[in-house]
Amino acid sequence: MILQTALLIALVIFSVLAIVLKDLLRSAISLAVSSLLLGIVFFRMNAPYAGVFEISVVAGLITVLFILTIALTKSGDEVRESRLVNWVFPVVFVAFIVIDALVMKGLMGKIPALAAGAESGTFGDVLWRGRTLDLVGQIAVILAGVFAVLALFRKRDKHD
Amino acid sequence: MIILFVVLPLIVAGLLPLVGKVSRRVLPDVLANATLLVLLGYAAVAGRALIAGGPVLQQSSWFGEAINIRLALDGFSLLMLVAIALVGLAASLFSIDYMEHYGAKANYYALYLVMIAGMNGLVLATDLFSVYVFLEVAAVASYALVAYGLGHDELEAAFKYLMLSVVASAFLVAAIAVVFGMTGSLDFAAVAAGLRELGAGPVLGIAAALFLLGFGLKAALVPFHAWLPDAHPSAPAPISAVLSGLLIKVSGVYALARIFLNVIGLTPALSTVLMGLGTVSMVAAAFLALGQKDMKRMLAYSSISQVGYVVLGIGIGTPLGIAGGLFHLFNHALAKGLLFLTSGSVQQATGTRDMDAMGGLAKRMPVTAATNLIGSLSIAGVPPLNGFWSKLIIIVALVQAGHPVFAVIAVLASVLTLWYYLLIQRKAFFGKLDEKWAAVKEAPFWMTVATVLLALLCVGIGILFASTVTTWIQPAADVLADGLHAVTGSWGF
Repeated sequence: MILQTALLIALVIFSVLAIVLKDLLRSAISLAVSSLLLGIVFFRMNAPYAGVFEISVVAGLITVLFILTIALTKSGDEVRESRLVNWVFPVVFVAFIVIDALVMKGLMGKIPALAAGAESGTFGDVLWRGRTLDLVGQIAVILAGVFAVLALFRKRDKHD
Repeated sequence: MIILFVVLPLIVAGLLPLVGKVSRRVLPDVLANATLLVLLGYAAVAGRALIAGGPVLQQSSWFGEAINIRLALDGFSLLMLVAIALVGLAASLFSIDYMEHYGAKANYYALYLVMIAGMNGLVLATDLFSVYVFLEVAAVASYALVAYGLGHDELEAAFKYLMLSVVASAFLVAAIAVVFGMTGSLDFAAVAAGLRELGAGPVLGIAAALFLLGFGLKAALVPFHAWLPDAHPSAPAPISAVLSGLLIKVSGVYALARIFLNVIGLTPALSTVLMGLGTVSMVAAAFLALGQKDMKRMLAYSSISQVGYVVLGIGIGTPLGIAGGLFHLFNHALAKGLLFLTSGSVQQATGTRDMDAMGGLAKRMPVTAATNLIGSLSIAGVPPLNGFWSKLIIIVALVQAGHPVFAVIAVLASVLTLWYYLLIQRKAFFGKLDEKWAAVKEAPFWMTVATVLLALLCVGIGILFASTVTTWIQPAADVLADGLHAVTGSWGF
């Protein structure tokens, strides 16, 4: 329980750091650490596959992409944010924590739930037999992503 | 084989970049338009026969292995499929000439077909998570299509659109997680049955609020509309037509109506919230549209206002109100598609979207001016065009359901609509022709074909509105009016 709480608190701290830090590289690394911690939480809560994907894809692959992109940008490209932005996040965050502390504990006890049954099974079963349509959707998202990259980084012919 | 609606455009999209290596223009044009023509034929001709004996459900097997692809085609999804294929085909015909100077046409059509596949998949999906997945398919393709011109404005608009759309998706995933946590299922039928069994008031309220935020952002209802007036005008004209005509309706209104009416169930409180949001959008966006100088931006605000009508109609919850809302959804898809296409013709001919710089274009572009006039009058609700009948049904339904105040507001908003559409006519098409537009020519052949097709439909549906309502709108409205029973009764696999 103590370990779990510590993991969750660290998760929140690193997520906040990812938002507040001005240095993009540090921000990306904080995000990676927070998703690593989330992966561990998943693993401890009997969701090993979710944990594996969280750590390999979000903490690993996406961080590599972020860092590559940051390496490709030149310094001096910073866009100055308005002062308001510096205030909005802390205010919303504190308000969220307060509401969370007041409401969530009472609410969690009251959530009625039916037993999960229909969509359980081994990972492979769920993915291939249970959620086949989502795989078609996944393929479509990947196609869309590939075509988007091809379109946005094409040589500009006559236009523009 | 209703899965064809999803798989066919995806397969063609996958082939298009390869085809583009062989033939840069002709083959991609033919393939993309032929695909949409096939889908239109399938939906419009075979569709009604398919659902004649109740909703079609499909659970396939693949090489003898049981796989779980559950799709359902009922009156409501069929209406949306027809609308998607119809406006999709018109916009893709328009693209033949319009996208010529953007380059990389094969790639453009590939993205376009993925977006169509995403919308079709969303409309046929039978579970909450699939709705989310296909919503993202259509959205990811649309971000790239908004940015397709690669200019500064396009990229900025696409980025803003992406950011707000991601927020919407986050709300939707949160809502789906809450519902899954309670019912242990994602399937529409099982969730509807589970929620009724649980009677979970306050927690369900939270889920409903999250759904409302998510779909409200997707449908660009006021006050969640900030992204739309940037994103829709910046896209190439055929994409603006599809985004305003279809995407906000499929990923906003369709999903919202399906989940609120068929899965969660429309409570009086929810009905009031929907009617309120619809009315605010209808009025606020109409006033905002009045002040615009950019033609496409005015049309974009008008979309927000008209989606307000649709949500108001569906929000009433009576069979007549729902029918009116869906009829207006269909009519607005056609007319707004038409208006964005004609604005694209004007922009291509003159190089500007600023209405103050135009004037007298009707003399040089008579067909574009005439089709634009038909679209404008249709949306403004002038008889005998299609938009008049759908607005009339919504207003009659409001009076019948005992909301005379809403009815009066709807009529007044309609007057505002007519006002700003007449502004477009006066500033852009009528009046004295400016010297600098002396060399302007009518739009090329395929662009004209696309606009004439949609204009004829606006007039035709206006004249044959009674048979359109009985054949297409009523079956769709019946599904929504049936409430939870529509999915729990006949969708149990």
